[in-house]
Parts: sequence; C-alpha cells; structure tokens
Amino acid sequence: MTINTNSSNVATRENRIGSITGYIGNLKDLAEKSACGTLKGCSRCFSQSSTCLSSCALAQLSAIRDVAIIHHGPAGCSVASAGAYYLDKVMAKKRGVTNDTVYVGTDMNEQDTIFGSTEQLGKIIREVNRRYSPKAIFVTSSCATGIIGEDIDSVVDDLKEEINVPIVAVHCEGFKSRIWATGFDIADHAVLSSIVQPPKQKRNTINFKNFYESARPEIIEIFRNFDLEPIFLYCNSTVEELSHISESLATTCICGTLGNYLGNGLEEKYGVPYVRSINQCGITGFETWLREIGKVTNRSEAVEKYIAEQRAIYIPQIEEIKKELKGLRAVIGMGPGYTFEVSRVLNELGIEVVWALAWHYDKKYENGDIPPSMKYLLDNDINFETSISDQQNYEVMNVLRKFKPDIYLSRHPGSTVWAIKNGTSAVYVADEYMIFGYKHTLEFAKTILDSIRNRSFEKNLASRVKLPYTDWWYEQNVDAFFEAEKENKKVTI
Amino acid sequence: MSEIRQIAIYGKGGIGKSTTTQNLTAGLVEHGKKVMVVGCDPKADSTRLLLGGLAQKTVLDTIRDEGEDVELDRIMRTGFGGTRCVESGGPEPGVGCAGRGIITSINMLENLGAYTDDLDFVFYDVLGDVVCGGFAMPIREGKAKEIYIVASGEMMALYAANNIAKGISRYARAGGVRLGGIICNSRNVDRELDLLRAFAKELGTQLLYFIPRDNIVQRAEINRKTVIEYKPDSAQANEYRNLAEAVINNTMFTIPTPMTQERLEQILLEYGLMDMADDYKI
Repeated sequence: MTINTNSSNVATRENRIGSITGYIGNLKDLAEKSACGTLKGCSRCFSQSSTCLSSCALAQLSAIRDVAIIHHGPAGCSVASAGAYYLDKVMAKKRGVTNDTVYVGTDMNEQDTIFGSTEQLGKIIREVNRRYSPKAIFVTSSCATGIIGEDIDSVVDDLKEEINVPIVAVHCEGFKSRIWATGFDIADHAVLSSIVQPPKQKRNTINFKNFYESARPEIIEIFRNFDLEPIFLYCNSTVEELSHISESLATTCICGTLGNYLGNGLEEKYGVPYVRSINQCGITGFETWLREIGKVTNRSEAVEKYIAEQRAIYIPQIEEIKKELKGLRAVIGMGPGYTFEVSRVLNELGIEVVWALAWHYDKKYENGDIPPSMKYLLDNDINFETSISDQQNYEVMNVLRKFKPDIYLSRHPGSTVWAIKNGTSAVYVADEYMIFGYKHTLEFAKTILDSIRNRSFEKNLASRVKLPYTDWWYEQNVDAFFEAEKENKKVTI
Repeated sequence: MSEIRQIAIYGKGGIGKSTTTQNLTAGLVEHGKKVMVVGCDPKADSTRLLLGGLAQKTVLDTIRDEGEDVELDRIMRTGFGGTRCVESGGPEPGVGCAGRGIITSINMLENLGAYTDDLDFVFYDVLGDVVCGGFAMPIREGKAKEIYIVASGEMMALYAANNIAKGISRYARAGGVRLGGIICNSRNVDRELDLLRAFAKELGTQLLYFIPRDNIVQRAEINRKTVIEYKPDSAQANEYRNLAEAVINNTMFTIPTPMTQERLEQILLEYGLMDMADDYKI
C-alpha cells in the first residue's frame, strides 16, 4: 500500500488494511478466513464501549513538545484536551523537561455550522501563532466540520507563507472509522507529511514509537551496548527531533498497531528500514526483536553478546517461576497488537490462553503482510478461542463466567475492574513496557503469581457487588447477539 | 379559530414550485385567507413575486449580522394582499450547511412567534433537491402536515416526485404528515394529464390540479408579480384561483405508496412517453 503524503487525508483502517471490529471463533479460523477473504459480518451495529479516533490522534500529536493543536469544532469535541493536557504535563515533568504545547478548541457554534467558519479559523490560527509561538501547528477537523465539508486545507495552505513553522491540516472526523487506532495513523500521517524532512546525513539513531517512554533510561542503556541511540516518539518529542527521523538507521515500535503506519511510511518515503518483528514482550519476543535490530544495523555480534549475558542472568529465574505458573488458565482482552503479543508470552510462561479478545483486528499491515504477532502464533501452532470485540464488556463478562480463568489480563483503563467485581483475579497491563525484555518478563510473571496467590480482595468484592448482567445472558453463547445481528434475527430474552 | 394549515411544497428543481406557491398564495389571499410563505432555499427567491423584488433580508443573514435577539419585523415582510413573507436564506454555495440553516431559521420563526392564530395557511417552499435532513425539516416534528408535490409529465419530474413520496411515507409513519396531491405545472408533454392522473393514482393520491402552460406566467415574473396581480382578468389568473379553491376544499390526505423504478418506467411507457422515436423536433 502506498502512503500518499501529498494528500492530507488518510483512508480508514477498515478501507486501507481491511481491519474488522467483529468476529467470534478461534485464531486459526480467523487467520484462514482473513487470508482467503471469506470473513463476513465483521462489524457491529452497536457498541457498548469504545473511543473516538480523534482523541487518539490528538493525544498523539499533543504529546509533542511546544506545538499547538487547533481543534476546529464545537466545544464538546475538545473535551479530550483536559486529559491530554494533564497527561502531557505529567509526562514532561517525569522526564524533567517542559512541554508548552497548547490545545485550543475553536468553539464552533450553530451559525458557524451554517455559514462555515474558515475566516474565523484563519484568525484563530494567526492569534495562536502570535500568542504562543508554537514550533508546529496542527489544525484538526471534527465531525461537525467534516459534515459541512469545511475547507481546512485551503485555510492552512493560505497561511503557509505567512506562518514560518510547519502548519498541517489533520482530518480526524470521529465518525469515519469504528477503529480508534485509525487515529494513530492520522497522527503519523500529519508528522510524516509536514514535520519530517528528507535526510541530510545518517545518524546512529533508532526511531522508537511508543506511548509514554517509561523504559527510556533502560532502553538507552541497552542500545548503548550497540552504539545506538533511541529516539522515542511522540511523547516529549521535539519538532526538531521529528524533522530528523528520516536520518535514523531504523524504525521500531512497542506495538504494531501503534507504529505500523509511521514505520512503513518512513521506509517507503525515505528508505528507513522498519523492524517488523514480534514485539519485545517475553523472551522470544525480546530476542527476535534485538536480532532484527542487529541485522538491519549490522550489529549482530554485539547483540548476540548482549543476549548471552542477559540470558545467564534472567533465564534461570524465569524458568524457576514458570514452574509455579504452569497450568494456569488466562483470558486476555487488549488491543490487537498486545492481545497477540501477550498471548505469546503467556504461552511461553506455560499459561494457557483460553480466550483472547482483541478490540479490533488488522488483517494485514501497511506492507501487505499479516501482523507478525499473529503470524508467530500460527507458525507455532498455537490456537485458542478468539473474538474481535471492540471492548464489548458484556461479552468479556460472559467469557469470564464460562471459562472461569485463573487470571484476566487487560490493557485499557477500567476493564480489569469488571473482572475483579466478577471475582476473577486480574492484571492491568497498563504500561507498555510491563513485559519488556527479560527483566520485565520476570517481573510480569511475579505479578501474575502475586495476583493469584491471594484472591481475598476479588472474592470479597464479588460477594458484595451485583453486576448488571442477567443469568440468562451468562447461559447464552458469547456470540448470541453478534450472530443474530449477522442473520438479521432477534434474540429472544 | 381553526388550526393553521401548514403546507410544504416539494418537487424537482426548476419545476416551478416557487412560482406556483406564490400564485396559489395570491389566489388564497383573494379568498380572504391569511397566508405566510416561508422560503426554504438558500437562493432566497421564494417570495420575490409577492414582495415585488428580492429586497428581503433573510432570517440567517439577520441572525448573522444582528445576533439572535431580533424582532420579528426584521425578518418578516408584508407582500401582496397582506401576505407575510419570510426567506430562510443560507450560506454561499459551497460552504457551510444550508440544511442546518433551514432548521435554525424555522426554530427562530417559532421562537419569535411568527405563527399567529389569525393565519390560515403557512407555506414552506423547499429547495428542489432535498439533499439532506435539513430540507425535510418542514415535514418533521409536526410542522407541515400537508404536502403537495409539483410535477410535470417529464420523466425526471416524476422520478423526483416518487422519491419525495418515499420521504413522506417514512415520516408519515411516525407523525401526521400526509400527501394532499400532485399539482401539475404543465410542460405541454403529450398526454400529460393522463400520465399525471395515472401516476397520482399509483402513488395513492390525486392529481389535485392541472395548471396549463401559459407564457403570461413568465411575463408576470419579469414584472415581479403574481399573475393575479399582473393580469387579474387573464385565464391563467383564474387557473390559480381554481387551484386555491382546490387546496381550500381538499379533503384527500393520504400516506403515499411510492413505486419502484421499474413500475415508474412502466407507467411512462404505457403513456407513450418513451417509445415515440419521431416526436423530437427541433
């Protein structure tokens, strides 16, 4: 798939890479049907829980230091600004830098909707530039501007001469995709098309797309062994840094869902190799990734040396704890990147995955290949019940009641609370580096062990909480509503 | 005091909705009826003949220039025979959202108390191509309960009329909106009267009135007048008076039964519209 940075618009994941939000079956079946094109009825006409792709895109962009986000829409569309602003400040403080990014909503009203408001938008952009002198300006659309076809591109083009920092139109109407991860692609597209400059000289740097760079010092340390320097994106990135990412030796990411568009885009446009391995979670994941980095940067020898040293330290400890984890049964509910990466790690630790729920599923990545995490599971003959469920909590609860796993693992705020209320021990894999490399894989194994050893909290809470689901629902197949929808039938309650 | 009859006029673009509505209004006024005409088209040309020109400031322009705290007389003008005339207006072509504009301006009229009890009729003259939900506003939320579709014997006019009927039947299920009939604004198409009757019957409605073609209508338009004002003694003025009477006396209000494209084409074939190879003369 060609990434066209000449257009400011990005096609949705559904249209570009055939992503889906509905499926119930098993991993092998999902893969086979995806490959031969027989997957049918893969979206839901309803959704109990999800989020807006615009929040996703703007959270990515606002994490860049000292830029301006101008969100052109009614005030309510900018509701995510408070959260983004808070998070950006905290992340900057944590790293010991300052982030003076501003997030401005244009407060469109009814009249603006009727007559269009490109003139006012132009004034707002000029005023934001005058008042805050941002290093780059992202002018973003909303559902309202999308519906009336507000010509943001022309406003931005007209101001390019006048404003001497990068200014870019970002089309992130929330209604255009059911998959919030489309927002990652939209943010990447904006950066690729307007911030990144053609390379002038190669540097010993690796672009590392992640969320909150919590393992920054540790990864800098690891890469120092190979005379490489990571550039973490986009949390606390500077516009200057981003303008040079075309000069890096390679691009990698913590999560394929997050990094796929930027990685492929940099490779396609500037020839920066994209490391397409399984991710760094678990032993096999970490080693495969390191070896791939070694290969693309000609540092295989140093990488092998590092692996040997670290294995000696951690593998005996991990092997020891695996004895206690053996035979445990887990249900997992995460984004598609982590669902299949963490499933691999659980398998590696001897924990049986009985059901994996991915919030959506990318049939392929931008280069046309199926996601490496999925390929690994299939190549190693690992199969389990799988659903693509867009955070449908009623399905998660049905699965937990039916399968009674020892542990539930999830990565999105609030999702583990439901499992705990159900009496199921749960681990919230909040930080993206929680299972990174040998050290954190060991810690992760210990966390699971801790969670299942003392279940009194879960038991006590469950005995005092009444969940909203009926016994009738727990007796139904997980796919009862989903299948009925496909057949256009009604479920009798 | 009887309830105000709120009527929406729909039909293909260019079919003569505004002309028919204004001439019909003139006929109603002669009957002593109190009428308000609300133009629901960004072009704001629905009341030109009643006002004797395009001098009116639209509701949306007024809101934009003066804010929402305006008096009714800033947006409503009195036209021929005491007719109250309002133009919703809208953005320039290619920007903003005209449909949302219709919604805003009708709400504004309600808030300002434009719908007074002494009114007998309110007409909504809606832009030809009902391109989005905003233009269906007059028939949603119980505003206009009565619809007339202006059509002619040309295929595209009937195609559009059938599509409009689909919209009406959708809203009729939830609310009280009904189709009052088809008004034929004749284009002198062969067997036009028979075709329109058959079409109306198939649609579960009636051909309310057949307005013959007469160039006096265009002459009156150039003079910014309705035919009744321009040439009160003309035959065409009488046609509009008769149309007004037909509307006043109409009691047939139905939920339309729109037809498939195939059936529509079948009717057109039946009335010979499509199989005459030699009728095209230059």
